[in-house]
Amino acid sequence: MKLFDQFVEQRSRKIAQASSRRGVLKRLGSFMAGAAAFPVLPVARAANADTTSADKVPSESGDPASCDYWRYCAIDGYLCDCCGGSYNACPPGTEMSPITWIGTCLNPVDGRSYVISYNDCCGKTSCGSCLCMRDEGDRPLYRVDKANDLNWCLGTESSVYHCSTAIVVGLAYEDS
Amino acid sequence: MSKVCIVMLLVMSSGVAYSQQINPARALYNYQMSCQGCHGPEGQGGGGVPRMQGFVGLFLNTAQGRDFLVQVPGSANSALGNSELAEVLNWMIEQFGGSSNPPGLQPYTAREVGILRKSPLNEVNAYRASVLANITKGAAY
Repeated sequence: MKLFDQFVEQRSRKIAQASSRRGVLKRLGSFMAGAAAFPVLPVARAANADTTSADKVPSESGDPASCDYWRYCAIDGYLCDCCGGSYNACPPGTEMSPITWIGTCLNPVDGRSYVISYNDCCGKTSCGSCLCMRDEGDRPLYRVDKANDLNWCLGTESSVYHCSTAIVVGLAYEDS
Repeated sequence: MSKVCIVMLLVMSSGVAYSQQINPARALYNYQMSCQGCHGPEGQGGGGVPRMQGFVGLFLNTAQGRDFLVQVPGSANSALGNSELAEVLNWMIEQFGGSSNPPGLQPYTAREVGILRKSPLNEVNAYRASVLANITKGAAY
């Protein structure tokens, strides 16, 4: 037991001599500040909107960087997943539009339709990667609330379009 | 039975009747598909779109305000049928109205909605301001 105590004491002293206490505090502080900062970024709303209910979290399959991904059935734009964001988060430096166009897509994994909100990310010039135009449910411009051939960067500081997300809002209603 | 009990029963039964006319799952879906894109998931509005959360019930204090909620372009011009529109309006009032709702809510009917949406509004912002001014001025609630 005495040997064990000596070993622990020696190791502790060596660690204390070799490490900076301020460094530990700095790293701990950075970690805590970083963790606190994430929720205020514009991606937070998308992330929250996607996970508030078990019903809203579908089983997933496919590649979110591919236009074939099931959530993109009604999209018209650049995939944020190819632009430094993801299917439900805007790339850094862009702002998610609170005003969106909404459609439904069939999830091939569970065979159910989900309501998808195509929130545009705004504030930087067009991403230019992964253009995807599948347009299911798209209506002519005289039906503006159902037309995706519009710049939906509305209610944002900048109306410059960058890319589009595809956020699951909930299950589509089906008459039983 | 005291008068107070009778009044309470009437209030409770009207609340039940109001809710019974709503299919919550269908109303939520129709809200998501036809309204949420602008008004937001909680009716919070923003970006120039009016807030309904804790506010929409204010319009029900006058006949003009009640009609307004059907005549706004988002309602009157929506792709929803009359019964679906009535249902989603009743659902929104129940979900988002909160303390702004006056007592004794009377649900919209498909017939009422069908008549009102034939007269959609054009200058919505100015008209909305006048509707709210009349409600405040008249203090009809």
